[in-house]
Amino acid sequence: MLRVENLTFAHPGQATPYVFSFVADSGEITAISGVSGSGKSTLLDLLAGFLEPTGGTVALDGRDLLPLPPEARPVSLLLQSESLFDHLSAARNIALGLPSRTEKAQTLQRVADALAEVGLEGLGDQQAATLSGGQKQRVALARTLLRARPILLLDEPFSALDDETRSVIRDLVRTLTTRHGWHTILVSHHADDVEALANRRYVLESRRLSPSGETKK
Amino acid sequence: MLTLPHRPLRIAAAITLAAAIAALIALVLWAILAAATGSGSSASRIDIPHLLRMTSIQAGLTTVLSLAVGTALAWSLNRLRFPGRDLVVGLFASAIVTPGMVVAFGLLSIWGRNGWINQLSEALFGVSIGNPAFGLSGILFAHVILDGAFAARILLARLDAIPAARLKTGQSLGLTAWQRFAIIDWPTLRGTMPGLAAIIFLLAFTSFPIVLLLGGGPANQTLEVAIYAAVRQDFDLAGAVRLAATQIAVCSAVILAASAMGPIPTSLGTSAAPRWRDAAPARLLQALVLALCILGFALPLLSVLFDGLASGLGSLLARPAFWWAAASSLLIGAASAILTLVLAMLLAMGRGATADGPLRTLLGMPAYAYLAVPAIVLSLGFFLLVRQLGIAPATAAPFVVILANSLLALPFAMATLGPPLEAIARSRGKLIRSLGLSGWRQFAAVECPLLGRDIGVMLALAFCFSLGDLGVIALFGTQDFQTLPLMMFRALGSYRSNDASAIAAILLIGTIIAFVGLPRLVERIANAAR
Repeated sequence: MLRVENLTFAHPGQATPYVFSFVADSGEITAISGVSGSGKSTLLDLLAGFLEPTGGTVALDGRDLLPLPPEARPVSLLLQSESLFDHLSAARNIALGLPSRTEKAQTLQRVADALAEVGLEGLGDQQAATLSGGQKQRVALARTLLRARPILLLDEPFSALDDETRSVIRDLVRTLTTRHGWHTILVSHHADDVEALANRRYVLESRRLSPSGETKK
Repeated sequence: MLTLPHRPLRIAAAITLAAAIAALIALVLWAILAAATGSGSSASRIDIPHLLRMTSIQAGLTTVLSLAVGTALAWSLNRLRFPGRDLVVGLFASAIVTPGMVVAFGLLSIWGRNGWINQLSEALFGVSIGNPAFGLSGILFAHVILDGAFAARILLARLDAIPAARLKTGQSLGLTAWQRFAIIDWPTLRGTMPGLAAIIFLLAFTSFPIVLLLGGGPANQTLEVAIYAAVRQDFDLAGAVRLAATQIAVCSAVILAASAMGPIPTSLGTSAAPRWRDAAPARLLQALVLALCILGFALPLLSVLFDGLASGLGSLLARPAFWWAAASSLLIGAASAILTLVLAMLLAMGRGATADGPLRTLLGMPAYAYLAVPAIVLSLGFFLLVRQLGIAPATAAPFVVILANSLLALPFAMATLGPPLEAIARSRGKLIRSLGLSGWRQFAAVECPLLGRDIGVMLALAFCFSLGDLGVIALFGTQDFQTLPLMMFRALGSYRSNDASAIAAILLIGTIIAFVGLPRLVERIANAAR
């Protein structure tokens, strides 16, 4: 279980700090909603290690994550855009999720497997810039599979997608989270995304998180 | 919140390199200072106030005229659409690497006493127009050709990046051509002018081959040429040192003033602007400006090619000395370009990994080394230094020329590689950190492929600067060690104008091939590696 307790942070010049507390279970999607500027992205930056909190704890199955730098945290990121390097092929983007010393044959096999799991067989050689928005998010999810990090942070990942693609990618996130036991944290201000995906819901208001609705299993 | 990749090694390497360059410059300045205090300067008869006045007048007039021509040209190029427009823009972009002595030579062949214009005038009207290519007018003409085109390229980039929404608003309001310039263009250009003016002033203030070739005597001599004359002709080291100190003081003052004015953006992209044609009279004026500028820029270069290839090429190619000089030029150019690439990459990568603050400013300082300590002063410092170390200048010459040429190209290399490297670090820092990419993997997978063309442009700039350099080689060259520009200068000095024509044509062709070919070649290699 991912447990966040009194995680405190204030931007320079901000009088009242954010104080975040919530829990997220393995294989579940925890949604954080709130209006623009309420601090959703700040929370993700704190969890990913890009910001340093002034207090509180973040623990995964009892292990303190705060001392770890971003690259060592058990965290994968999926952003609204710019999750890929456009000049690289889909396969090379995915391969960045593997350690650099991985053997070539193993890399090729694992990339192909990941592509198959997200439904993009045969698209490995295509340059990322030429992929559609939905395909890009699938490639980013395929890379997440190879990284095998137990926490997946989603920062408005469906905002740039049309309704049909949005629904398909939501289903994929749901399937992968359950299959791989990820602790998926979704930040979104779209009520339909939250409604469709969330097992647990929190609302961010006045720099505090409060539970919203019932927990779904 | 800005997240940069965590790269302590890159930052440490950049700090070490910046310190080494600073130490080298300090050593050069110390050598100059030591020579000044060690020799009686009272014997020198150099009139520094006169030289300072002449240099300032020449540089000031160049700046005003270049900005005026550059603005008019950028305005015309921004408005007009025609087949071959990209080629014309590329032609003006090449001004920055066109060797000054080639342009000077081209002007002489058109406007000189035996130039095309005079021959035509005498044939048609029986009247000679004299020799306007010599003296202040010739210097200004050559400078405006090069610096005006340089200014136009910078200003055109600003105009091309004006947001489409602003243009749509202006078009819907029915602004006239003049209103459009005053309300939309000028506010965009205005911020660039002070920094651009400072750069052009410095380029003109430290110009060497053009003043040397077209100066026409002591009346138009500048500090830079006077330093050369003091060392190579009068053996007046004390005088040269006083001149160098004056030059450094003025350049540093201009740089300090310029640094307060903000940087010039090097890459702005283009907005998807709507097609908005000005009224017919304005378009006619634009076409006229463009035609005059193309004639002014291209005619001297065409003349160099025509004269060079028509006369003297055969006999030049038969001389072993030419091939030695060509080999020296190519080797020095290639070595300088590679050294510049290494220096610029290390500095720019370290800077890209550094958040805003004093360290970031410090890592940008080596780029100013050349502007503060111009070619001839740097060359003089190295010359004195190797003498003090007991090394024969001829022995140190190749290494000094390579190092000096690299330092001279460094500001342009940093301006080419710095912005894209920093853009990558800033826009993708979060992703790179979260993926835990090592510094090498970041370089190999992300930076190198994305920078392919920029690296090619940088190599081309550094190679061309070195290929056309006369300032550094002028003090270190010997009969056994000479480059093509020095060989051309010597040919002119001994009235072998056919040889000089042929060398000028070869230099121009080499510059064009490198400037056009290198970026494409490196980009292709980078793409193939993806």
